[in-house]
Formats: sequence, structure tokens, C-alpha cells
Amino acid sequence: MASKTGWRRALLPAGTLVLFVLVWEACCRLLRVDPWILPAPSSIARHMAEDAPRLAGQLWFTLRLALKGVGLGVAFGVAAALLFHLIPGVRAALSPIIIITQNIPLIALGPLLIVWFGFGLLPKLILLVLVCFFPVAWSMLAGLGQAEPHLREYLAMIGASRWEVLRRLELPASLPSFFTGLKLTATYSVTAVIVAEWLGASEGIGHYLVLKSKGYDTEGVFSALICIVALALAFYGAAALLERLAIRWRPRRTAPQGGKSA
Amino acid sequence: MSELAEPKLELQAVSKSYVRDKRPYPVLDRISLHVREGEFVTLIGPSGSGKSTLFRLIGGVERPDEGTVRIGGRETTGERGHISYMPQQASLFPWMSVAANISSALTTAGVGAAEAARLASQWLERIGLGDVAKEYPHVLSGGMQQRVSFLRALLMPRDVMCLDEPFAALDALTRADMQAWLLDLWEAERRSVLFVTHSIEEALTLSDRLYVLSRGPARVLREIAVPFPRPRRADVWKEPAFVRLKEEVLELLQKGAEAEHAL
Ligand SMILES: Nc1ncnc2c1ncn2[C@@H]1O[C@H](COP(=O)(O)OP(=O)(O)O)[C@@H](O)[C@H]1O
Ligand SMILES: [Mg+2]
Repeated sequence: MASKTGWRRALLPAGTLVLFVLVWEACCRLLRVDPWILPAPSSIARHMAEDAPRLAGQLWFTLRLALKGVGLGVAFGVAAALLFHLIPGVRAALSPIIIITQNIPLIALGPLLIVWFGFGLLPKLILLVLVCFFPVAWSMLAGLGQAEPHLREYLAMIGASRWEVLRRLELPASLPSFFTGLKLTATYSVTAVIVAEWLGASEGIGHYLVLKSKGYDTEGVFSALICIVALALAFYGAAALLERLAIRWRPRRTAPQGGKSA
Repeated sequence: MSELAEPKLELQAVSKSYVRDKRPYPVLDRISLHVREGEFVTLIGPSGSGKSTLFRLIGGVERPDEGTVRIGGRETTGERGHISYMPQQASLFPWMSVAANISSALTTAGVGAAEAARLASQWLERIGLGDVAKEYPHVLSGGMQQRVSFLRALLMPRDVMCLDEPFAALDALTRADMQAWLLDLWEAERRSVLFVTHSIEEALTLSDRLYVLSRGPARVLREIAVPFPRPRRADVWKEPAFVRLKEEVLELLQKGAEAEHAL
């Protein structure tokens, strides 16, 4: 029974996607759309197959940069959340600066960072960290404060130390929010890494995208877009998987529905 | 048990008020009470009279405005870490196994990690919950969770156990079950207990002594010694003396309420 609902959940979106691609293909053929305006899915696929080694190389480069950025960003985010949570006043003091960093458009910030730090890895990492740390820090901070009041009261009554409250209650209670933030970060980071490469890189999918777009190679542009979307989906999937591995105490709401009654 | 020995817990003229709408709102009015070593003492009073507030003062989570709290023969007013505690909601940590819930509380009370783990599994086995020791608490029923919560309080090496309406959220059958279970376990272990309930039967069935509190601001209306011998049968409520005592307490509580209305 459970597998049936699982099937339906996977089948429906997949079906929509296939339909979308078919309609696209049909439009391109019937209306004879110029390939440099909108290439048909089949010709994009052909292009990707032909250019596969190069695409894979660029994707690998982008993936490594994104992982470094996400790793650093998440580390900064967790550290910021803990700092703000544990030391009163820090949050109020630093909030304006952090809000400002989140409101500067990447397109404006990127070139500035390059002016300041050159074309190396550093400006790209700074850009990525700025984008990645915020969702993690803010959701985790909310989670740390939202621990069940009756559990907090229990720990106070038995005289638990600040460290015990953090480790036994607040950290585990903040995990679901942390992962909400991580999933957001995982998605944003891919966009951010593309922007970073766009601004100044000699490799990576972002760089490839710039080249193809300057050469009006629309098939190439679409190939890059597909790689980017795939990367973003993979990042989100990885974050969701980590969440399932880390949070195992919650009674599953969806999965065993059918299984139990059978 | 000598009468001369200092009580495990002693409150002397403890008062507390909160501020509500910028005006003082008295909750506790010069409460004095004590719990001797190995004694089961119950506080009974209408809900909202300030029993949980009194526990917060004993636990050191808040300070009384006046009066002192002495635990284990030492003044501990406003100090935490001298009691073990069982609240109305089981308050087990959902991300820890049943055994880890118990052993982590023991380490807070200064028990070494290995000893805590050993005690937890040994006692879970003893109360028939050995099978679920490694499970997360959500697989347990409400009654089972309260058993674990009680065990957690019992095993903490602290001078007093404070139980705040531990059975109030359970259905009547489970509740009667739990009372009998607790009676058995406590009579074997004899810890010093301060128990809060608003059920008169529960108070009379379980305790050696009880304090009847008035409606808020709470005062001690009367101290009553419960005369039934130990070990006590769970069906002690059938005795005529039980019925008389119950009526006496009921009358006290009602009179307290009337006095309030008269003001
Ligand atoms: N932190 C607080 N601030 C203001 N009023 C409170 C606070 N805590 C409890 N009270 C009030 O004190 C009274 C006693 O509460 P409580 O001790 O929980 O009663 P009980 O446990 O006997 O039902 C209630 O009227 C409650 O609203
Ligand atoms: Mg209460």
C-alpha cells in the first residue's frame, strides 16, 4: 500500500515534466523556431552528449567551489547562531550589519569583491559565505530559542548547567530548523556560485555559460542551465537526505501510513 | 527515623508575589512546611493556588520574596540542583532513548556516566520496561512515559523528590494503576517526597502527611497526618476512616473557597 502512494508521488511530477518537454519539442518542430532563439530538447540533448567531457569537467569545478562555499557558509552560520543565542546583546548589535549584507545585490557586490581581493578563490568564497550563512544562521537561531518550554522548565528544576541545556535540549531542538535553513542554503548556493564564476573565473559552469551566451550558442546556454538545475536539485536532495539521517526520533508522518494498517 | 533528625526539606514562612498589571499579585502567603527523611508528604489545594510556584521556589528556579528554603539541613534558598523533579507532562527528551533520558538526568546529579547507564538499564528491567530501553520515548503510552519519568526522579541522588501532579493528565484507569505502582515502588525505596495533587483520594492513598492549601494566595489551612499503616493497600479508600478524612479535607477546601468569596 505504501509503495502505491509513493509511486503516485513520484509519478505525477515526472509525468508533468515529460509532458512539458514533449510540448516544447512539438512547438519547436511545428513552428520551426530558430535554434538560436529556442532549441528543441532533442538538439539540446545532442549538444550535451557531444560536449559531455567538457561539461563534466566544468561541473566538477563548480561543484567543488560550491561545496567549499556551502561548507564555510554553514560553519559560519552555525557559529553565528550559537554566538547570538548564547551571548545576549550580540544579536542586537550585529543585526543591522547582517541585514545590510543580505540586501546588497550579488551583481553589485561581486565586482567590488573582485576589485578588493583580485580574481582568485577568496572573493568567490566570500560571496558564497555571505549568501550561504544567512539562512542557516537565522533558522537555527529561531530553533534554538523555540525549544519546548516544559523541557526547559524540567532542566531548570533539576539544576542543569547552561552547557547541559544547550547540548541536551537546545541543539537537538534546533536541528529541524537548521535543516530548513540548510535546504535553502543548498539551493541558493548554486545560484551564487554561478554568479561568482560569471564575474570572474576561467573555469566552471558559470564561465561556460558566459562563453556560450556571448557566442549566441543557445544550445550551449541551455546545456549549462540543465547542469545548473541538476546541481541545485542534487544539493537540495543531499540536504534532505542528511536531515533524514540526522533526525530519526520523529515518528514518521508520511511513510508508513499504509504499512501500519495492513 | 528519629524525630530529632533535621527534616530533608523545610520551608519557613515562604511568601511570593508576582506583578500583574503593575500591581503586586500575591501567590504564596507565609507557607511553612517540612518533609522528613523517607516521608511522603502531599500538598493539596485548588488549581491556581500556587503549588507549582512553590516547587519553583524549592527548585531554586525563582527566589521567594520572604522566608527560607532548607534542603538536607542547609539553607538553599534560590539555589538549584538540590531536588529531583517529576512534572505533569512526562517531559522526556524525544531525541534520547528511554535509557538515555534517565542516565543523562543522573549525570546532571553527579553520577558517573557508566554508573548512570548501568542504573538506568537495571531499573528499567526491574519495572518491566527493559524491552523499550533503547527506543525513543514516543513509542511509549502516556502511563509508560510517566513511569520512566518517575524512575528518572527516583534514581537521581537528591535529598527530595518533587512530584507536581504527575498523574493529572492520565485517564482514570491508568491513574489508579499508576498510584498502585508508585505506592509499591516508593514503599520499597522510601525516598523523601513532596507530592502535589488536587485529588483528595490520591493524597490520602499515597501520603503519610498532607498539607491543605487555601485558594490563592495560598496559606496552609491544615496539616493532617494520614493514619493508615504501611505497607498500604491500594484499596485503602474502602475504609470508613478514609471516607471521614476525605470529607474533612473536602470541607476544608470548600470553606477556603467560601472565605475567598466572602472577602
Ligand atoms: N511567572 C508568572 N508570572 C505571573 N503570574 C504567575 C507566574 N507563574 C504563575 N503565576 C500565577 O500564579 C498563580 C499560581 O500558579 P501555579 O503555581 O501554577 O498554581 P497551581 O500549580 O497551584 O495550579 C496562578 O494564578 C498563575 O497565573
Ligand atoms: Mg500546577
